[in-house]
Amino acid sequence: MAEGFDIDHLAKLARLSLTAEEKALYSAQLSQIIGHFQALAQADLPTIIDDARVVDESALRSDTPGPVLGVEAVTLIAPASRDGQISVPRVVDDEA
Amino acid sequence: MAAALHTLSAAELGRRLAAGTLTSRALCEALIARHSSVNKQVGAFTHLDVADVLAQADASDTRRQAGQGRGPLEGIPVAIKDNIAVQGQPLTCSSKMLAPLVSPYDAHVVERLRAAGAILYGRLNMDEFAMGSSTENSALQKTFNPWDLTRIPGGSSGGSAAALAAGLVPLALGSDTGGSIRQPASHCGVVGLKPTYGLVSRFGLVAFASSLDQIGPMARSVEDCALLLSALASADARDMTCFGASARALTPAGDAKQLRIGIPKGFLGKGVAPEVVAAVTATVEFYRAQGCVISEVELPSADLAVPTYYVVATAEASSNLGRYDGVRYGHRSTKAGTPVEMMTASRSEGFGPEVKRRILLGTFVLSAGYADAYYVRALRARAKIRAEYLAALATVDVLLTPTVPTPAFKVGEKASDPLQLYLEDIFTIPANLAGLPALSLPCGQSGHLPVGFHLVGAPLSEAKLFAAGRLFEAAHGYAHQQAAL
Repeated sequence: MAEGFDIDHLAKLARLSLTAEEKALYSAQLSQIIGHFQALAQADLPTIIDDARVVDESALRSDTPGPVLGVEAVTLIAPASRDGQISVPRVVDDEA
Repeated sequence: MAAALHTLSAAELGRRLAAGTLTSRALCEALIARHSSVNKQVGAFTHLDVADVLAQADASDTRRQAGQGRGPLEGIPVAIKDNIAVQGQPLTCSSKMLAPLVSPYDAHVVERLRAAGAILYGRLNMDEFAMGSSTENSALQKTFNPWDLTRIPGGSSGGSAAALAAGLVPLALGSDTGGSIRQPASHCGVVGLKPTYGLVSRFGLVAFASSLDQIGPMARSVEDCALLLSALASADARDMTCFGASARALTPAGDAKQLRIGIPKGFLGKGVAPEVVAAVTATVEFYRAQGCVISEVELPSADLAVPTYYVVATAEASSNLGRYDGVRYGHRSTKAGTPVEMMTASRSEGFGPEVKRRILLGTFVLSAGYADAYYVRALRARAKIRAEYLAALATVDVLLTPTVPTPAFKVGEKASDPLQLYLEDIFTIPANLAGLPALSLPCGQSGHLPVGFHLVGAPLSEAKLFAAGRLFEAAHGYAHQQAAL
């Protein structure tokens, strides 16, 4: 297992609930895959990463706002909605 | 006896439609009839709205009769991978997470197909969220290789490749993040292109790893693949990584018989099946005999491509898939307590095993204390790989390799070993990391299974790749091939 690898912590960060069997399986598989990543640790690599960009930025336009979906289209695909708004479980208790 | 419609190329179908000897309705009815008998065996399509297809076909025939045909794709069916949005159609990414979702809008490429008069023909199975190389990770159904129904079709665009090889549709869209168009094309004996990053808009493509994802064309011939690309590629302000109108001109094809072809040193060595080596070696000799200049090139960091890809791609995936929280769309758990419990339960119920594995991996490589050791080093390795590929492509026109090290494997054979499955993409991943165009087309067989080869070019060299592919295809019998079903 990679040093510091904590499946419970990772699952919490990723908002995933894992069974004991899943924890054992993913721990073993991730350790094997992360072991394969060690080639990166041993490689002679450039210290700058600017050239990692695959797009010539001179070819890009400005990131300006455009049309968006209307309320009806958005609430139609939401798991739960009411009065044109998306419903979620109560965030703040009455008693709080 | 006249050839059955399902065996014809899109170009030939277009000629018949233009000549008035075929209607789009007759074509679609023939494909729907074949679908009803063949798709059950292959499992390529997850959804086909027959009434909608026939309505589109009738509208196309009406346009043509009125002299308002929209070009070479008018009336031609194009099937769509289930991670590309078509308004009013399911958009599931073959995941339980999105199984209830109907898309409220069209992807840019779908708008382009509608404008070209094409028929939007059904939804194609895939690995869940495009994560996989066998289509076994679909939460909806299995897809089988039409050449051998006990084997995988490749992935993640396995439904697209299998539909073409089974004669279910003449053209299909796939998406390619690390080989997801080219690897299934190779396993199913069809043609697939990953375009230059930025040539085709990603608007309406469900994001997996945004710096790597590209939508691309798949077909049974190079000519058809080029025809479909010409409809897809256009500027789109909604994808800020999509080239503007002034920056997307393709390099001229030139004379394919004068191409300089580079063979990366060591790529036909360890881990490549002997029959793949034989087919690709014969392909190299074909080009040499045509007058092409063949030379060996060095890509010293090629061994870093797989680990680099699986760090970068999973890091981006763990971020992109953070949006699936059961709030705005997709699956919401009924075990909801607090909002955080609802999000956690929704994600745990909605995602399948491979998606969870990659989210966990991406979370790890981005986590405090590890990001410099993994993610930042992977970005550096990516820069090095890109520089080496561009340097090599300054001395040759294209690089030629196998597409996949081995022919299609048995269903379930690698399901318990994700690392082995990741190594399927060893030849295809570098083109994604470097943003380069790459084409896979058939070059032989291993027994009854197709073998493909892979051409990689400099940015915007798609015309060169197609010219090289056409030269090979014209001298061999692999164009338009279909499995007997």
